Amino acid sequence: MLELPTIQDTMNDRRRINGPAEGTRPPVYASHLKSGGATDRAQRQREPTDLRKIFLKTGLIPSASGSSYLEFAPSSSLANARSNPKSLIPPSSALKLSCTVHGPKPLPRSAAFSPNLVLTTHVKYAPFAARKRKGHIRDASERDLGVHLETALRGAIIAERWPKSGIDLTITILEAEDDRWWADAPDLHDASWGMMNVLAGCITAASAAIADAHIDCLDLVSGGVAALVSDDSTEDSAAAPRLMLDADPAEHRSIMAACVVAYMPARDEITELWLKGESSKIALEKGDQRSAHEALIDGAVDAARGAHSVLSEAVRETMLRAVTPL
Amino acid sequence: MAITILPPVVEDLGPYQNASDSDEDMSDNSDSDVEMGGVSLQKKRSHFDSTKLGAKFVTPGEVVHDDPQWMRGHGTYTTPLSTSIIATVAGNVVQTNKLLSVQPLRARYTPEIGDLVVGRIVEVQSRRWKVDIAAPLLAQLPLSAINLPGGILRRRTSADELQIRTFFNEGDLVIAEVQSVHQDGSASLHTRSLKYGKLRNGVFLAVTGTGGGGARSNLSKGGVDSSLAVPGSASGTGGVVRSRRQVWTLSTAHGGGEVDVVLGVNGYIHISKHADGEAAASSTTENVSINRMEELVSSSIYSSQNDEIHPQTRREIARLTQSIQVLVQSGVRVDEDTVTGAYNASLQVDLEVGDDEDEDEGREYLEGMKARRIIELVVKGN
Amino acid sequence: MSSQRQASSAAQIPHLSPAELSYLYTSLSLPNSPIRPDGRSPTQFRPLSAETNILPGTNGSARIGFADGTQAIVGVKAEVEKTVLVSDTLDVQHEAQGTGNGEGGEGSSSAVTGGHGSWVQMSIEIPGFRDDDALPVFLSEMMRESLVGSVGVKDKSGEENMAGGLKGRLVINKRWHWRLYIDVLLLSQPLSYPLPLLSLTTHLALLSTKLPKLKSKGEEDPFFDDDWAVAEYIYPRVLGVSNTLQVRPPVTLLVISVGENVIFDPTREEIAVADAVLAISVTRDNEAGSLQPLKLLSIRTIDPPSRLTQPGIPNSENVNMLGAPAPNENVAVLNPATGEEEVPGVWRPRRGGVKRSVIAGMVKTVLKKGGVGEEVLAGLEGVEVS
Repeated sequence: MLELPTIQDTMNDRRRINGPAEGTRPPVYASHLKSGGATDRAQRQREPTDLRKIFLKTGLIPSASGSSYLEFAPSSSLANARSNPKSLIPPSSALKLSCTVHGPKPLPRSAAFSPNLVLTTHVKYAPFAARKRKGHIRDASERDLGVHLETALRGAIIAERWPKSGIDLTITILEAEDDRWWADAPDLHDASWGMMNVLAGCITAASAAIADAHIDCLDLVSGGVAALVSDDSTEDSAAAPRLMLDADPAEHRSIMAACVVAYMPARDEITELWLKGESSKIALEKGDQRSAHEALIDGAVDAARGAHSVLSEAVRETMLRAVTPL
Repeated sequence: MAITILPPVVEDLGPYQNASDSDEDMSDNSDSDVEMGGVSLQKKRSHFDSTKLGAKFVTPGEVVHDDPQWMRGHGTYTTPLSTSIIATVAGNVVQTNKLLSVQPLRARYTPEIGDLVVGRIVEVQSRRWKVDIAAPLLAQLPLSAINLPGGILRRRTSADELQIRTFFNEGDLVIAEVQSVHQDGSASLHTRSLKYGKLRNGVFLAVTGTGGGGARSNLSKGGVDSSLAVPGSASGTGGVVRSRRQVWTLSTAHGGGEVDVVLGVNGYIHISKHADGEAAASSTTENVSINRMEELVSSSIYSSQNDEIHPQTRREIARLTQSIQVLVQSGVRVDEDTVTGAYNASLQVDLEVGDDEDEDEGREYLEGMKARRIIELVVKGN
Repeated sequence: MSSQRQASSAAQIPHLSPAELSYLYTSLSLPNSPIRPDGRSPTQFRPLSAETNILPGTNGSARIGFADGTQAIVGVKAEVEKTVLVSDTLDVQHEAQGTGNGEGGEGSSSAVTGGHGSWVQMSIEIPGFRDDDALPVFLSEMMRESLVGSVGVKDKSGEENMAGGLKGRLVINKRWHWRLYIDVLLLSQPLSYPLPLLSLTTHLALLSTKLPKLKSKGEEDPFFDDDWAVAEYIYPRVLGVSNTLQVRPPVTLLVISVGENVIFDPTREEIAVADAVLAISVTRDNEAGSLQPLKLLSIRTIDPPSRLTQPGIPNSENVNMLGAPAPNENVAVLNPATGEEEVPGVWRPRRGGVKRSVIAGMVKTVLKKGGVGEEVLAGLEGVEVS
């Protein structure tokens, strides 16, 4: 594969004329903030176990052997803001990504013999995907996502069915999730929580694209996220953090821990697990005997089960479209 | 305790110097530095009696001899301007009649015809395999140099070429013999014997193999103090040397049964459950002809399925593996005697230690004190 | 391409023959007492040699060497930097509430106490890998995430309570902070997955890291005591308090499961046959008297290389053994760990993922009282920090 030359020290791409490195965001005036408008934090309207609606369609890119497009339904506040804009700044964002699969195709001559299908993944944010502009060269977080995604998919693909061949899977994230509400300063548990939602979306979309490319897999693997959230609006520190499935970081004041899994319901197996945050010391609500990390994993699995139903429906839909005459 | 963290070792002290040294960390791979100590000692000595060539250490660039009566051998060079022979490697000077050569202390394996080697297939080509035998160049194993299945010796066919992967595949371990050595130093192997073929039922470990070069003289080296020197342990880093028997069967303790040990001259070692030729054929009628027998045995040389191996055997194989590791880390040569010695010593050490150590954690892990004790026992035994 | 493949599967795939893989797997999956090739018990680590403060030009440093000769060196350097609020974030609370009521100052300072994850910069240099290869990136993200993820517990009494964790410790005042550079250097090509080695070395280096003592007060421009002897440890060592109650940097342990066994500090060969590989980061906090002495910071699955291995061929299907007697023991049996049918003695590459119960078991072995995590931290505590 072709590696772009990296210019590590500057992280600049000298061959292109880039826009400003920082985002160009319109100024926000304090007086405007006071009046309400944009300062209303997006509030989660869903139940803790309700997932966002997922739009998933496969086979949209004709040149690829398999492709899919995935979109999360915007939160209600985002939908409101879109229909009735009060501020230039959207209150939250909703994931949109497209995934293409090329292959199976023969490995390049220089590659060593492989008895298995070789999977290569590329995850790239579009420069305009996040609030802050991303460069053209993949940064550490994008590479990290690629490794996670690869782990998730390797477990599902039956690699020995396709010896000596490789597939390239490319994901372009058109709109990413926020790590927190845009106007919040990073708090104690500052971490890239939005990345976990992105990964879950990547897994589900990639699985659909692989199924669309007719590559043998054990089961459709889907991604799910669960988070322990404390919405300390009452400033009552004793309040137990609550487990939220498919948590949108923009809708919560503080996320204590979160977990994303890639899950195969048919085998009840997890192919990828990524959990972070201080989970083990958090006491759950009364009556819950599980330790917090187990609750998180179970929650994420539940979310993945939800995504799986969408996933299998989308794959079936494409199939039906192909067999039914127009 | 799950973890042992030791302070760093003061490298100046050689092992076995005195009793107070006993806390020294065996695990730390201090071979090279210990080696250096040995070399410098030797060098000093050599200045006092330079007449004895056999006991001389040289470093690259050092004049080995300037008498024109000598011929230059491996590891030396001459300049047209002078008659002196200059070393190109660090090692000891070996004199064969009028030939002076320098044999490096830690050499990589250079294949020689007739060597029994263990190798790993790294590449499958259309008519041959490329085999890693720890030599600078990959060895080749032509399809024509293996026993083709079907019992009788037959010519290879295009069908064999097509299914070349069914014989050996990438990653497979083979035991083979060096058939010829090419101009560039790369070797050509063959497995045309029932003893050779694919290895299974056991574990592989790689140690240094000097291939016997430079390991003949009776010098005591840095790895082992002179009082404890193993006769013939010239190669200071230990490793496999060419010896009388490279393959033998060892009967193990604790109900482990018989275990085959293959010491490749190249330093690759395979330890496996003893493969009984008759066991393979036992399911058939008893009076099989020799030809048929051969056929049965030879057909299993391409198997990649392990036999049933009992946990006791696995445990003893693990012990044997560690015994060899201990030998290598202490710079003791690896051959049949030392391996058997180390194995028996490890059993004895276990008996000695067994009583006062009530914890069961990692008792089979041989390191530190246990390793030192094993070496002492091995050395005493010789 | 091949190096890309190696790097992306997170661990290099050693070329092992199917027979070796099968032998290893069966040995390691023996119920209750796995036989490891080197005779260690499942929870036993390879012996290490460690020392700290080896580099005079750093704020803290450490070196750890494995018995197999691989060594890691970590140097920690700190720089004072002006705190700039990221343009992306805007302390709206502060702005909206105005500055008059005094709440604003409080609000913003609490925001600053949090520190920022990007103040800790980590780079890993592994010979044979480009610094943008997947492996170093993955490793550094993994280790950084647990470092900055630990936020500590707000203690009512103590002032040196590491509130805000490492990030919080880097705050000097509202306008200034420390930037920490953690540079990890592996001296040779790794012989096994380098995560435990790098993590333990980073832990020790951070333990020995000192920052100059601050002389200025409050919101003044920072001004430090130039006496190195009075410099303060970044992870405070409070005298008189039991070591087990002090906050310590996290460690990341590599855990594999083979069959029903959970194995620590795996060698490369052992990883090659693992059903599942997890990297589990734990730390200890100063919360006394809790049932669980350790705090879980992160879990990540690592792609087990066993998925990409060469399958073995059962004798019954081997074309070169057609003349051989058909052995009737080639009956496939169900492997309970993988749920796949397998012929004994024949290697099958792993498929699928991990059961939740297996993950729970692995995490429990690390976290439980007297478990491996605690022992590793205790062992690291034993290293003299000069």
